Amino acid sequence: MKPPTVVVKRMPSRFKHQVPKYKVTRSDACINCGTCAKACPYGVHERVEGHNRAKPPIDYKCIGFACQGHDFYCVAKCPRQALSLSLNPMYSTLGDFRWTADMITGTWIMAETGYPPQRTDLEYNVGNSGGGFDKLRLKLPAHPPEVDKSKISTAIPLNRRNDGRANIVISTPVYGGGMSFGSVSLPTMVSKARNATLWNTFTCTGEGGYPEMLQPYDDHVITQVATGLFGVREETIQRVKIIEFKYAQGAKPGLGGHLLGEKNTASVARMREAVKDTPLFSPFPFHSVYSIEDHKKHIDWIKEVNPNALVSVKVSTPSDVDMVAVGSYYAGAHIIHIDGGYGGTGAAPDIAKKNIAMPIEYAITKVHGFLKEEGVREAMTLIASGGIRTAHDLAKAICLGADGAVIGTAELVSLECVRCGNCESGRGCARGIASTDSELADLFDEDWATQRLVNMYHAWNVQLVDILQRFGMRSVRELVGRTDLLEHIDYSYETELAHHG
Amino acid sequence: MPKKYHIHPKAAPLDLEYVFKFKIVRGENCINCGKCTKVCIYEAHKRRKDDPRRMADPNTVVCRNCFRCIQECPRGALEKSLEKDFAGIGGDFWKPDMLLSLWKQAEDGKVPVSGAGYRGPFTGTGFDSMWTDMSEIVRPTRDGIHGREYISTSVDLGRRLNHLVFDAEGRLVSEVPDTVDLPIPILFESPTADLSANVKEALVKAAAEIGTCIIMPAADMTPEFTEYSDSIIPCLAPAEIDTHRAVIEKARLVAIEHSDALMSDLPQVKEEIRKISHALIIIRVPAGKDVEETVLRLVHSGAEIIHIVADYCGREINGLPGSERLLKDIIRAVHLRLVEDRIRDEVTLIASGGIAMAEHVPKAMLCGADLTALDIPLMIALGARLYEKPEKQLIFPEGLAKIPVPIVTQRMVNLMGAWHSQILEVMGAMGIREARRLRGESGRAIFFEEVDRDTFGKLFGKNREAVSK
Repeated sequence: MKPPTVVVKRMPSRFKHQVPKYKVTRSDACINCGTCAKACPYGVHERVEGHNRAKPPIDYKCIGFACQGHDFYCVAKCPRQALSLSLNPMYSTLGDFRWTADMITGTWIMAETGYPPQRTDLEYNVGNSGGGFDKLRLKLPAHPPEVDKSKISTAIPLNRRNDGRANIVISTPVYGGGMSFGSVSLPTMVSKARNATLWNTFTCTGEGGYPEMLQPYDDHVITQVATGLFGVREETIQRVKIIEFKYAQGAKPGLGGHLLGEKNTASVARMREAVKDTPLFSPFPFHSVYSIEDHKKHIDWIKEVNPNALVSVKVSTPSDVDMVAVGSYYAGAHIIHIDGGYGGTGAAPDIAKKNIAMPIEYAITKVHGFLKEEGVREAMTLIASGGIRTAHDLAKAICLGADGAVIGTAELVSLECVRCGNCESGRGCARGIASTDSELADLFDEDWATQRLVNMYHAWNVQLVDILQRFGMRSVRELVGRTDLLEHIDYSYETELAHHG
Repeated sequence: MPKKYHIHPKAAPLDLEYVFKFKIVRGENCINCGKCTKVCIYEAHKRRKDDPRRMADPNTVVCRNCFRCIQECPRGALEKSLEKDFAGIGGDFWKPDMLLSLWKQAEDGKVPVSGAGYRGPFTGTGFDSMWTDMSEIVRPTRDGIHGREYISTSVDLGRRLNHLVFDAEGRLVSEVPDTVDLPIPILFESPTADLSANVKEALVKAAAEIGTCIIMPAADMTPEFTEYSDSIIPCLAPAEIDTHRAVIEKARLVAIEHSDALMSDLPQVKEEIRKISHALIIIRVPAGKDVEETVLRLVHSGAEIIHIVADYCGREINGLPGSERLLKDIIRAVHLRLVEDRIRDEVTLIASGGIAMAEHVPKAMLCGADLTALDIPLMIALGARLYEKPEKQLIFPEGLAKIPVPIVTQRMVNLMGAWHSQILEVMGAMGIREARRLRGESGRAIFFEEVDRDTFGKLFGKNREAVSK
């Protein structure tokens, strides 16, 4: 359920056009009679009185072949057969196996409207990677038990240790991933923090220091202590309610953070106490940690500096991630945050993204199982990230054993990231999200971005509540570890029958 | 400590056309307002030089797919699509994006780095169905990426003894066989294509510069290559030993093509070569159906180095189309067969065929190879276009023959420099400091079938595909 601070408001794209899925072609046979303009309820066709020729169709507004059944279908309506409909070749240049064009478009619609898309022609819940979440399905019962949606809780506690430290409860089981100042722009960071505050959840500074502008949102900011220790001061540790140790990042496990020289501008360098224009590499690993005992010393240090804060440990997903998780429990951490290999990044070697460590789906299963076997599952909060793209991924991750998830890419896509992957080069993000370039970082304002994030979080929450309702649950906490509610399409005969029978 | 190994990249742009990925077409309804020139940060859009009132055709080679011109054109006059040439290049194994990446690495010698998460499929076939593991907190790690800790990529070729024998006085009795030490676990091979003279020369020079060797037909060893004898592995049939005496005399390694006769003749062939030089012998065995048995027998009859050759996509030779074993499984089978017979340490295994990206080198080694060999990536570095369909075809860019040797050489060196850095990244993440220790270290590999079975298999029962097989 959304907290009262959340208000959904339509927040359209900042660009004139969106990326069209379909192409509507008007041939020379058109006599500019205006039939199509009158018929189309979506505004694809426009006719201006006094013009000889009709305007080119606005492709991105078209709902495509799903329109064929309607009596306002322009192609059928046109008296001269001047209109035709096809898939737009442009659409194939958007998206990839993991984030399909439909998924990006769907997320844009959520950020604009605050609700899941109504369109039936978009497969926005699963991607096309052919594995993991994309092969898992929620076994939603056909006849759900009666549960009042307004009574369903999506809140989760983050401190389960009973150690007298802050009892933090977040209203939706999702929070924003660590993105450093430098890897993203200040408006992006501030908007993320404002959204986290409105949603009573968290955002994370990443390892690039703690910009002053985030201070009004201190209670909803996680600050990161990473191997480079950029911008880490006692004062920033005392400011927040959660401190995160970043041992590794899913997109580049075994490698330190990497900020290319071009993005290390004067303000970034000041924040990181580094020299402007030089590339910054965080070491890997923490050279002070080579065992769980060292790890405990680290955590004790933070707990000493801030006696009320929770400690989160962010690790990536090697085959012994389960051991690391249990070790983190014994070292005194509250949250074990496992970051899978398909997570986002401002810059990572392609070889690392593709090849190092295992996908998050396996890691959740292993860690959840091992914490349970060790009898400490109830005392830890298990957070998954690195490949949670949609509300369905979130629900599946929880079924596999996570308590909640951290998302990054989905937030950026809400701000109209197209995943072109050029965050790292030259002036950085052409769309102003992941850039510190003075001109580019000014492409949107924080009100717009905050609302887009609020809307996307809302749409996810709506979907999650819907899933919980259909399972007859009153709290998202009931969903944790319910692998019996999942099926894997490679593993089950039932699905096969359902599809063909 | 040995001298630190380093490959020196140097920007070496090649002024030849190559494929690009995106195509933008300016429609007739463009009103030449110039909005696109303002929004594109890559300068794909410019006004015409001869007539600044009009827009020039988009320079899509620089397009990075940011969609800004598309979304901001007031008239919606721009259309983007995947370039046809791009989509048609390569094939199922040699993906178009791979070719672009290799070309780029040859250009600057840098590790390909990008933003945003991984965008490919969850798993695939062959090497795509495994991940390399990493270390974290509870296992020692290595920080070798930026030279903070030295990670060695050296490997040895040759027979190793299981143990040493000493006499009663403590003197070494065992005869320790010669080995050849290479600083990088990659050998070059001559592609079976018509190469221009500058490319042939550059192949040898690039191999020499990075300290490795190139396997080439002994007949191609013209006198001007004599000074590079240390970097050339002449390849010949047993019957040609006498013909190529001069070449063998100077070589550190000699490659012999496998034949059925060799199985019995091997000791005799070795003897013949030994009379000429101390060169170690590599036997090149096609990765056919029974390759593990062939290798086993060769090792038992004294082979010291075996080169397993799969086809250019890493497939078994003469297998049933569509169901051939792939290099990953071939190497594992051979390696494990030798381990089973307790003779794995007596032989060096070279794997080749389908070594297309840097990641394939450490992965092949984790599966059991000591080192790898490659040819096609070196050609792609020079702008060659590879097509898998209807059949393998390697097309060299026009004008390549006229490019000066130093540039051609540098591009190959750059590519290997980028690969070396990437191998260091993967090894550093694994916490392995010696490439020799990668061999067969399957504890540092995560195999899809295994992890899927151990996690999802336990949750969801039997895999449907596994059942139907």
